[in-house]
Amino acid sequence: MEIFRVSRDVYGREVLQGMSWDLLWVFFAAGIAFVCLHALYSWLLAPKRPVSRQTR
Amino acid sequence: MSATTTASAGEARTSRIVRHALADRLFHWINAASVLTLLGTAFLPIMGYQFPWVTAHWIAGIVMIAAIAFHVARSLLAQNLRSMLIGPRDLADLTAITKWNLRVSGDAPPKPGKYSLAQKLIHLLFALVLIAAAVTGALMLVRIDTPWWERDPYWLSETTWGVVYVIHGLAALLLVTMVIAHVYFALRPDKLLFTRSMIRGWITREEYETHHDTNRWQVKE
Repeated sequence: MEIFRVSRDVYGREVLQGMSWDLLWVFFAAGIAFVCLHALYSWLLAPKRPVSRQTR
Repeated sequence: MSATTTASAGEARTSRIVRHALADRLFHWINAASVLTLLGTAFLPIMGYQFPWVTAHWIAGIVMIAAIAFHVARSLLAQNLRSMLIGPRDLADLTAITKWNLRVSGDAPPKPGKYSLAQKLIHLLFALVLIAAAVTGALMLVRIDTPWWERDPYWLSETTWGVVYVIHGLAALLLVTMVIAHVYFALRPDKLLFTRSMIRGWITREEYETHHDTNRWQVKE
């Protein structure tokens, strides 16, 4: 997987074109992975705040 | 429980505290709509959904730049900028939150002021990434025809344009991850009060006292 998009100019030199769009799925997957890990941590492992007494 | 106490408790549940003024909510949702339009017009063609995306992309970009300029001006002139800045107390909060999560300490971390450290950090990250995208996007406008000027692809050197495109692309990719995380937190049941406040503007006094340190975020009665 490439990190950058490059092309060659008329002299054959490499020219930077931008980020590789193959990375779109990496960043999308990172977002989904963060959500899953945080949800699991919050559900299973995170310490719970004591419920404060509230006047009802 | 006396009738007075019951009435007081009822008032606490129903009385409203303004968390986001209308101008700030409009900024947030206009910015959200422009960012989603920018991401859609940038990435859908890459994913194979072809449509004439350039015009929608640069118009959404100009809307986003105008919205950010409004937000910065309003933050500096009409709002308490300190409520969003990360200060020494936030770093103390970070220590307490870390100890609490690692179970080093049994004391729950202190309640935040108007914004928690996590909210300040995501705001800072969005600010940096959106400003990077806006500055590079504004430069890239030189390369397209608009009603106001004709394109000039030679305004910068090829190498410099490459750097501009890398920064713009990296900002766009980071926004994909950040928007997913932001929407996730907005939809979490324990954070819905903040989402409601970004839609309707208010939280209840009970929520204010439960979720905030009323000394760190003092509201006018």
